[in-house]
Amino acid sequence: MRLLFITLFLCSSLSAESGLLDIQWPKPNAKHQKPSTPYPAVLTNSIKEVKLPVYLPNSYAYNKNMIVVADNNFYTVSFTLQGADIMISGDKTYQESVSPTNPEFKAIMKASPPVEFMQSEGIMSAEFNRHGVNYSMAVECEKPKTDKRCTETTFIKELYNQLIMVGGRP
Amino acid sequence: MRTVLIISMLFFFSACVQKATPQTEEEKKFSYYPAGQLSPEKSGDGRNGDNYIYAPGIRFPIEAAPAYINSQVYGIGGLHGARGSLCDEKNYQYPWSDNYCEKRRWGMPLCPGGKGHQGVDIRTATCEKNKYYTVAVENGLITYIGKYTVKLRGDSGRTYRYLHMNSSSILVRSGQKVKRGERLGLVSNNMGSTKTSIHLHFDMKQTIKIDGKSKTVYVPPYTSLIDAYKRLLHGNP
Repeated sequence: MRLLFITLFLCSSLSAESGLLDIQWPKPNAKHQKPSTPYPAVLTNSIKEVKLPVYLPNSYAYNKNMIVVADNNFYTVSFTLQGADIMISGDKTYQESVSPTNPEFKAIMKASPPVEFMQSEGIMSAEFNRHGVNYSMAVECEKPKTDKRCTETTFIKELYNQLIMVGGRP
Repeated sequence: MRTVLIISMLFFFSACVQKATPQTEEEKKFSYYPAGQLSPEKSGDGRNGDNYIYAPGIRFPIEAAPAYINSQVYGIGGLHGARGSLCDEKNYQYPWSDNYCEKRRWGMPLCPGGKGHQGVDIRTATCEKNKYYTVAVENGLITYIGKYTVKLRGDSGRTYRYLHMNSSSILVRSGQKVKRGERLGLVSNNMGSTKTSIHLHFDMKQTIKIDGKSKTVYVPPYTSLIDAYKRLLHGNP
């Protein structure tokens, strides 16, 4: 009964209003601006117009074989690493807005940790919000049942802890 | 002036008496359980009563009907299903049943128990792999192709995942713009070196804003897919 009430309430208070999220830009950091060696052209050329902070794991930010798909409001970077595909993306758009009084979403937001790691469909992923932007990372393995990068959170946590801002502009 | 009035009246009259397109045989057969009512009951608790269409106007992700939304895990031949073959004809029948929020170990904020399946599983017309095409549900960009995932970011900003297609059948590449209805690849049982049952796992992720904050979540696709399938069956996908 409680669920029915909640879902009916949700239906009546969801709004298919879309738009751009407000970004709280991080303060300029010299370390972010000056990489040890230049980032590969595939990255710098593709993210010129991206208007959100672009994060990548430090160890892989110089990988010339990365694939970058981006426009003003989002980016996705992916690359292959010994039998696994790694993906990170950031997006500053929203597709729905909910009333601040919505009990279900109030509870969801309150319960949300700063970063969530989970394994689903054999894919290890991380979700987090930084500067008001939503980011996700995924590790997808050729051997999802035995490759530890897809069965344990150690590898994705390492990637998360290595994130550095490599570009993006207001 | 009088002629204009007569023409307008005739036009209005003809519009009123225009017959609705008759239902196709497949439309007559199509039936479905309500959103959030999972089947069998032991498969978990769905979002009963949530009939909101989260992705209005999307195209059905499989090119041609019929297709069947039902449980892979709790269906006949599934891990927790009745004994039998995954290809049992009962798995390839209406009514559809929602399997968003079906029991899983991973966190899903919109599911009643906080855990569950983040999308729906769709079977094709027959139990044959590499025969039926998936298509783009809206105009957008292919942002990622993994071992068994194709990710489409629609112009709406919503992202859609298509899982378990045959990798060698993929017709698109990362960075490619696609049109609504454009072929992506063939439904299969690909899950890397581990095989799964022949089906398409389809999910939709979108960002929801609340009080200046936001969260990206997998939203229920079932109602959007019922709407899309009805249009597909009626010939205007």
